[in-house]
Amino acid sequence: MRLKKNAIWIILLVLIFLMSACSNTADIENEKSEDELILAIGGEPDDGFDPATGWGRYGSPLFQSTLVTYDQDFNIQNDLATSYEVSEDGLEWTIVIRDDVTFTDGEALTADDVVFTFETAKESGSIIDLSNLDRVEGIDDYTVKFTLREPESTFIYLLASTGIVPVHAYNDNYNENPVGSGPFQLVQWDKGQQIIVEANPDYYGEKPFFKKLTFLFLSEDAAFAAAKTGAVDVVSVPPAFAGEEIAGMQLVELESVDNRGIMFPYVSEGDETAEGAPIGNEVTADSAIRQAINVGLDRQAFVDGVLEGFGTPAYSTADHLPWWNPDTVIEDANLQLANQILKEAGWLEKEDGIREKDGLTAEFTLLYPAGDQIRQSLSIAFAEMIKPLGIKVTTEGKSWNEIEYLMYSHPVMMGWGSHDPLEIYNLYSSKTRGIGYYNANYYSNPVVDDYLNQALRATSEEEANSYWKKAQWDGETGFSAQGDAPWAWLVNLNHLYFIDENLVIGEQKIQPHGHGWPITDFIEQWRWEE
Amino acid sequence: MRGVISRLNLRQRTITRIILSIIVLIGIVSSGLLIDADRLSIDLEMKNSAPSLEHLFGTDWLGRDMLARTLKGLTLSMSVGLLAAFFSTGIALFLALLASWNKRMDQFVTWLIDLFLSVPHIVLLILISFALGGGFNGVVIGLALTHWPSLTRLLRAEMLQIKSAEYVGISHRLGKSRLWIARHHIFPHLIPQLFIGFILLFPHAILHEAAITFLGFGLSTEQPAIGVILSESMRYLSTGLWWLAFFPGLSLLIMVALFDLLGKNLQTLLDPFHGQKR
Repeated sequence: MRLKKNAIWIILLVLIFLMSACSNTADIENEKSEDELILAIGGEPDDGFDPATGWGRYGSPLFQSTLVTYDQDFNIQNDLATSYEVSEDGLEWTIVIRDDVTFTDGEALTADDVVFTFETAKESGSIIDLSNLDRVEGIDDYTVKFTLREPESTFIYLLASTGIVPVHAYNDNYNENPVGSGPFQLVQWDKGQQIIVEANPDYYGEKPFFKKLTFLFLSEDAAFAAAKTGAVDVVSVPPAFAGEEIAGMQLVELESVDNRGIMFPYVSEGDETAEGAPIGNEVTADSAIRQAINVGLDRQAFVDGVLEGFGTPAYSTADHLPWWNPDTVIEDANLQLANQILKEAGWLEKEDGIREKDGLTAEFTLLYPAGDQIRQSLSIAFAEMIKPLGIKVTTEGKSWNEIEYLMYSHPVMMGWGSHDPLEIYNLYSSKTRGIGYYNANYYSNPVVDDYLNQALRATSEEEANSYWKKAQWDGETGFSAQGDAPWAWLVNLNHLYFIDENLVIGEQKIQPHGHGWPITDFIEQWRWEE
Repeated sequence: MRGVISRLNLRQRTITRIILSIIVLIGIVSSGLLIDADRLSIDLEMKNSAPSLEHLFGTDWLGRDMLARTLKGLTLSMSVGLLAAFFSTGIALFLALLASWNKRMDQFVTWLIDLFLSVPHIVLLILISFALGGGFNGVVIGLALTHWPSLTRLLRAEMLQIKSAEYVGISHRLGKSRLWIARHHIFPHLIPQLFIGFILLFPHAILHEAAITFLGFGLSTEQPAIGVILSESMRYLSTGLWWLAFFPGLSLLIMVALFDLLGKNLQTLLDPFHGQKR
């Protein structure tokens, strides 16, 4: 009896080994040719590949092409456009497009398609904010005129991120069967597993070196394991994996503005949003608290401790972008100064080491989205780090749904970072208070508002950038840590990838928020090392 | 040692086992309660260190001592288990006594038991806990509402047996009310079953608590629950931090086994039927 039982166990065990052995061999079998790449960079787009609903905002839209693009240094380059012109008052944008472009189904790309794309995107009510676009019309077959309601210098970034869709082939299934004029075309999409794309033979631009790309949608663990077996050529990894060695692959670290920072409620308690969510927090409404935290934090310690060194200290939402003001960099990790600021503002230490001002205890709850390990670690480390200041922070992980209700009255560990300076406007303008996640802390400063409006109304990028910078810090006031400090920016994450040793991906831009797709930005230029 | 144990008779051995497991369990709880927040604080210098004399269970990616976290987690699990098992037993007792009322009630209770047993525990548990918004309360209520059926069935069978006894019939004919009979005849006989059922519910409740917390429907990530520790550690397994999952998992297993041992031995001690079985 006993022997029989043992025998059954052994057979079971052997069976399990056999099964796992089988599945291993299956993966390695598929031989691939020279001009193919397999990538596991995550981020399957839930809404499919329709630029009118947000596809292609980060990285390359792959299947579609845009009117203009950025180069590596954020200069605007023509893509579909051959020239563009902005009227004196900044309201009318006239764009001439190429006349030799066809979609992958053979039809020519004309002004009608451009008009259709922007009208569809405007009506889609998606992430693309085109509310300022009054109308868009075709002047002739290859000239398009955009008319804005108000001048908006950042409109160019919408042109750079919105892929053009064909009016004749656009329907409800377009997001699953995209037809476009981009460098690649979609062959197959197995939802939840992979997409396979092939090069577009009629592409008007530089032809991509790789003829076939497979994007696998794997969990971080599975992607890492796949890289170890040599099954993928490019894989995105979290900092925790970056210390590992993978034979035949090298670690690529890309700097980013994919930042993490804490949004502090800027106003006192009392009000409610239209949905009944409380607004404001007495403690963080005191500028001394926010400034002391900004000065007292040791940002480099976050980079070394939480990000394993794969990151940079963050001082604003747009570090190192053309519209960033280097004056926002402050000397931090200065507990002495921080304590002094608090003391001068009347926050005095009690016996238990926690400060108090007029009966108000210096404590708050910092929220972070549960399940985001980096934000959780940053939050816990933050609470620990500012304990010596006499500010008591409890951390709590919540779902985004709960955060949406609580974010007006509690500090939240947020993350931003965009290639569009409009983000600055959205985060800091009085006009956007309480709209979406952007200005949920109800920040407002008339001087900053003035600069932000001037930046939007500017007709050249240089002029706009100078006002964006002034809004951050003009020597007296601003929204950076030197000024009102409505946020405490902590770190910019470096985006980490293991790529095949022989793969050359060239120079990359500073990466935006969102790990994964941004690396595809210049994928046409990728090639094997000779 | 072996000689000493074999010289004891079954009763003495049972009592020894009971005392030993109670001592260990009390040890876990009291050490978990005595650990103050400082031991749980982060220390980025010490992060990801393997088990050593200083940190017996190693440290995690924020440099927190895993032994302290594990003990805290076990204590938390135990309090969840205690509350849930208590309420569950309460529900079981109530339903068993309700079933003694009349035929229709008995059918209703049996139907309820079948209903709850036909759905897997964990599914029902996730549903209830999620509907109540998760957290400590959600888990405890979810556990309490899902763990009573098997015990109820046991108690009901016991109750039916007692009810058919002659002295109960005599009481009934002497005009005693149903409530009186339930209180004075049935309930005292159910106590041993009830107590053992209570203890044996513990391991179930604790394991299920860890399971749904692991899946993310239970306790919030703030609490150092074992389920939270385990699910967090999954992210680090592929980088070789095996101790993050191994020791907490093993400790959970040991605690559950101890409760099981305690329950089984109490059964041997208290229940004459089991006491004679070898």
